[in-house]
Amino acid sequence: MKRMIGLEWAKISSYGFFRVILILTLSLFLLTVFVFSRIDISLPGFTWRNLFRFPDIWPSFAWVASWFNLLLAILVITIAGNEFTGRTLRQQIMTGLSREEWLAGKGILIIGLALFGVVMVSIAGFVFGFIYTRELSLGTIFSNMDILLVYMVQAIGYMVLGMLFITVLRSNTLAIILYLLYFIMIEPIIRGLCPVEVRPWFPVKIISHLTPFPEVLKVTSGEALDNSNMTFENIGLMPRQLEDSTTTIMALVYILVFAILTYLAVKKKDL
Amino acid sequence: MILETFKLSKSYGTIQAADDVSLEVEKGTAFGLLGPNGSGKTTTLGIIMSVLKPERGSFKWFGKEPEPSVYKRIGSLVEVPNFFNYLSLRRNLEIVARIRGTGDSDIKRVLDLTGLRNRSSSRYDTLSLGMKQRLALASIIMGNPEVLVLDEPANSLDPEGIAEVRKIIMEQKEQGKTIIMASHILDEVEKVCSHVAILKKGKTLASGRVNELLVTDDILVIDSGNNELLKKGLLEKGLVKKAELRDNILEVIPSSGVSSGIINAYAAEKDINVNQLYIKKSTLEEQFLELVKE
Repeated sequence: MKRMIGLEWAKISSYGFFRVILILTLSLFLLTVFVFSRIDISLPGFTWRNLFRFPDIWPSFAWVASWFNLLLAILVITIAGNEFTGRTLRQQIMTGLSREEWLAGKGILIIGLALFGVVMVSIAGFVFGFIYTRELSLGTIFSNMDILLVYMVQAIGYMVLGMLFITVLRSNTLAIILYLLYFIMIEPIIRGLCPVEVRPWFPVKIISHLTPFPEVLKVTSGEALDNSNMTFENIGLMPRQLEDSTTTIMALVYILVFAILTYLAVKKKDL
Repeated sequence: MILETFKLSKSYGTIQAADDVSLEVEKGTAFGLLGPNGSGKTTTLGIIMSVLKPERGSFKWFGKEPEPSVYKRIGSLVEVPNFFNYLSLRRNLEIVARIRGTGDSDIKRVLDLTGLRNRSSSRYDTLSLGMKQRLALASIIMGNPEVLVLDEPANSLDPEGIAEVRKIIMEQKEQGKTIIMASHILDEVEKVCSHVAILKKGKTLASGRVNELLVTDDILVIDSGNNELLKKGLLEKGLVKKAELRDNILEVIPSSGVSSGIINAYAAEKDINVNQLYIKKSTLEEQFLELVKE
């Protein structure tokens, strides 16, 4: 394990694109939450800043961070793809690395990047939460924080799917284009052609829904309204989704399937 | 036995890249794989290094089924050197050291051995082709592997680079390492290898010790007063396997056990005056061209 971490770190620590994407992800995330935090929408009975208060800050920030999972996935595609196109993977196998060890290295990279996202959201969440929350208690601070684990699963899901694309296609450009098209067009079109009850079960739908759009109406209205049923789903603004637990389990199943397919693509094909 | 391959076969579409290639490489030998472009040398090396999957056949390293850890005992350079462009030489070698589990202590030794110490902090993509090749050699001798697998190690190098690479290979050979080298540079194989297999269109045409292949086809060049008569007589008497007149000079391949003295004596017996008689040692190149010609 330690050897694999050292090996992966030796490969990426000096890689300019790796640093650029991490800095870009961090900067864009902080910029986004900062800009949103400065917006002051004053409507009677609604307080926008509730989104930045414990405990609602965690789902809000996890949702914003999920926008940048695509960047992390593109980073993984590029790092792994470079090893195919530059044939350094081939050289490493001839040097004595097994294909399983190489995949384990990429697994470590993916988990590391997902942890980076979790740390980024956690630190930003604590800073903004302490700034905007008026009544602090341990209960309110840490309540809802489990969404960060779910966000981590989501980030892993995005990146493992990216690994599958690059191990099958072996071309950075093609893998990135098809990966993005799959997210933006291909799966949504296929979903649209399927019966309504099947639509929530597609992989991208499942993984994206792990950090759903915050219930802005419910959160911002505070105690001004009887808002117990005031969700986007209940008022018909969003389609019915699966239960959170079902979504998480299905996401884990999909991640496992992607990982197995990736393993087979690396194991069975020539390098 | 260091390496045994059993009828390795692989095709790319309709092209049969390797066709029942069976080889045996003994410990301490320098084994050459010789063949024109597209003969299956690199495919064969790719299969034995486990980066290509054979369609049929199998192979054993050190008498055992291959597993990834076995490659830590083998240093290999197949096709062009492949390293991380954005990393320094030292960092690239650190990656090799981590994979082999040798630690970083060996890096200095191989950098010195290949004359790259002064460039150790340079990025790989700033190196000349010759230096890249030397780095590849540095990486394959890290951890002191028992076997070196080299594919066209002098490819694209200038004469000085070829000499440097050959020197390093010969030093490794002198240390008793087994060397498996694919090349189309016949001179290279002849100078380095003790054994050779000649491939063509994926098939093994001939295999054996280099000196045996050479001895078999020594050519006797004769210039006599009557080359036509001498040719006829030698063939009739069965003293030569083959006789040809080229530009009025007789070239014969003596039958087994027939020396130049016996042929000279035969000419004297027939009153044919021999002006010149010498052995033209058949080079591996001639042998190679003879074997691979259509």
